[in-house]
Amino acid sequence: MRVVVAEDLFLLREGLVRLLKAHGLEIAAAVDSAPGLLEAMLECRPDVAIVDVRLPPTFTDDGLRAALEARKQIPGLPVLVLSQYVEQLYARELLADHAGGVGYLLKDRVFNDDQFIDAVRTVAAGGTMMDPDVVAKLLGRRAKDEPLARLSAREREVLELMAEGRSNSAIAQRLFVTEKAVSKHSTSIFSKLDLIPSDDDNRRVLAVLAYLNS
Amino acid sequence: MITNFQLVLAGTIGAGAAAIWIRTGTREPPKTLRGRLWEFCWRTALLAICILVIGPFWPWRTLGSGNWILVVPLAIGLLAFLLRRPAAWIIAAVLIPLGFYGFVMARDGGFWNAAPVQQYGPLHFGDYSMQYYLVLPLAYALLLLGGWLLWRGLNFRSPITRLVLGPLADQVSRTLLWSLLLFPVVFMAAALLSPNLWFGSGVAAAAWTVALLAGTTLLIRRSPRLAASVATGGLILLGVVGLFVTSTWGHRLGLPETPDQYELYGAIAVSSQTMAAAARVQGLILIGFGLWLAPRTIPQVRQLLGWASDGELIKRVQRLTESRAVAVDTAAADLRRLERNLHDGAQARLVALGMNLRAVERLIPANPEAALALVAEARETSARALNELRELVRGVHPPVLADRGLGDAIRALALDTPMNVEADIDLPGRLAAPVETACYFAAAEVLTNAVKHSGTRDARVAVSHADGLLRIAITDFGVGGADPARGSGLAGVEKRLATFDGILAVSSPVGGPTMVVMEVPCALSSQKISSC
Repeated sequence: MRVVVAEDLFLLREGLVRLLKAHGLEIAAAVDSAPGLLEAMLECRPDVAIVDVRLPPTFTDDGLRAALEARKQIPGLPVLVLSQYVEQLYARELLADHAGGVGYLLKDRVFNDDQFIDAVRTVAAGGTMMDPDVVAKLLGRRAKDEPLARLSAREREVLELMAEGRSNSAIAQRLFVTEKAVSKHSTSIFSKLDLIPSDDDNRRVLAVLAYLNS
Repeated sequence: MITNFQLVLAGTIGAGAAAIWIRTGTREPPKTLRGRLWEFCWRTALLAICILVIGPFWPWRTLGSGNWILVVPLAIGLLAFLLRRPAAWIIAAVLIPLGFYGFVMARDGGFWNAAPVQQYGPLHFGDYSMQYYLVLPLAYALLLLGGWLLWRGLNFRSPITRLVLGPLADQVSRTLLWSLLLFPVVFMAAALLSPNLWFGSGVAAAAWTVALLAGTTLLIRRSPRLAASVATGGLILLGVVGLFVTSTWGHRLGLPETPDQYELYGAIAVSSQTMAAAARVQGLILIGFGLWLAPRTIPQVRQLLGWASDGELIKRVQRLTESRAVAVDTAAADLRRLERNLHDGAQARLVALGMNLRAVERLIPANPEAALALVAEARETSARALNELRELVRGVHPPVLADRGLGDAIRALALDTPMNVEADIDLPGRLAAPVETACYFAAAEVLTNAVKHSGTRDARVAVSHADGLLRIAITDFGVGGADPARGSGLAGVEKRLATFDGILAVSSPVGGPTMVVMEVPCALSSQKISSC
């Protein structure tokens, strides 16, 4: 799997490259600025790009803008955005094209390399990964709204993990229940929220996020 | 006896010398002893020339022989040297009393009534001689010169001025100078009212003069603004009276019947038709001067003419002083908070992290499992430290604000607020960074209040910019009854916005809705950060 890494801090960039290589991923390009990123994404056509939001030249949200621009030119080009901060506003912008293949995680998540590599693979495969912080904020905002209020505590946990982009098996593992139980919860959640159930993981995530974002 | 020609010559030299003196009076003092001595010498010489001019005015007989020509310049020169910037006001201090002395002399035939033949500067006269009529114009000329020197040279920060004026020194400056005009106005009015009808002359007149001087001085010291206004009004009135003095209206104010009698009118002793015409001209000049002064000294006239009034300026200065104090306090408090948070949070966690890692070093050979647990703990700690730093940065300068500016930052704020906040943002550019930050935190504070107190789930934020004015309106459809005076944080927001001349208005009837509007004057930079 070929990866483009965009990160302006040398130590972090090298760390990421080493981590990815250690897990058998191939580095197509490692760049340190937004224009370099755009060029690398359009030329190398990587399976996934790992992008820091804040990049030169203006050190604001150049990385995010470059990633969005590349996705505009090549729809669905998988992008995993890393940042010191997660902002719902940016999450919305990434999800706006409903094409999947996006991830938005805090940089700290790299600490847990297994989960991080999972996330990279999920996004590369066209899936959607949202940071738990984003999901928590989304749910916090809507917590008292009908029909979210009707969900049971366990169903809310499942909903959170679903919104983060995890598969049924990952959710089951995390909550120490069977996959069958998870899928039962999932059906219940979808009917309570009036959503059309879907077996496809990615479509399910997008539906849930779209619902929470509405 | 010095002849008039010599006096005119000396006067010319003296005036030039005075001008040089005033120009050089404010420069840096010389550093070397030789320079200082040299300055002392030439200053003393200049002053000696000045005194030569002034000297003949004074009834020096009281000092005996002509030794004063040596003694007085030396004394004043020493004073001038010691006080550093005295030339203008020392000369003024001599000229102004001399001018007043001229008035008194013309009125009563000499302050001390000492001799039938008097000397006033170059004028040597007996009662009602031709030269007598020149005493008043000369006295006026001296007063004007003295006033001008005072204007040029009075330094309101000098210790002497502070001693005389006390705490007023800071406030008055120009107003004080205008208010000094009250002295001649009062004396002229007094002459017109002919007080010697009531007080007689001689000692009584001296007492009267002292009383007038004291009263006027008191008014000027206590209330220079009022004194300046009175002086201006007095000038106009005197001018009007002058026009009547020279008309045939009323015998008291008309022309005297015999030529050796005269009616005093300011600098003019009216004794003939020619002098009456001159008096009319003087009256018109006084009226003109008064009208020119009126808007400069009387606030009401200034308002009438639409000039910016001092009152508004004073209020503005007060507002600026207050808002600056708030800004400085806020900045200091923010820094303290930042320091404390860093110290108790991230810094402490990093110390713990270092200690953990050290422990791991020791444990690895003996007890790898325990070491592993410690490493996990260390990772946890570093994540927590990062979290705290993140929150800290968000509190100092939110990332979206830095990235995208106020519009998107408020959009992000609306998303992060646990309410349904509808954001209606119309902001096609960036604002100055300090304004953006202040407005962002103001909006955040208002929204937090809405979450806490409104009891509703629906709110609306509208941001727009028009005519150099940024307007943020935050409405919630809750219970209302918000009162900025009750210390709900809105007062703090108001103060912080005041730093940028911004205002905050709250409309919150009981039962709602609550609407908070903030308006801040600021420019919108047109270029939005270009996307790459």
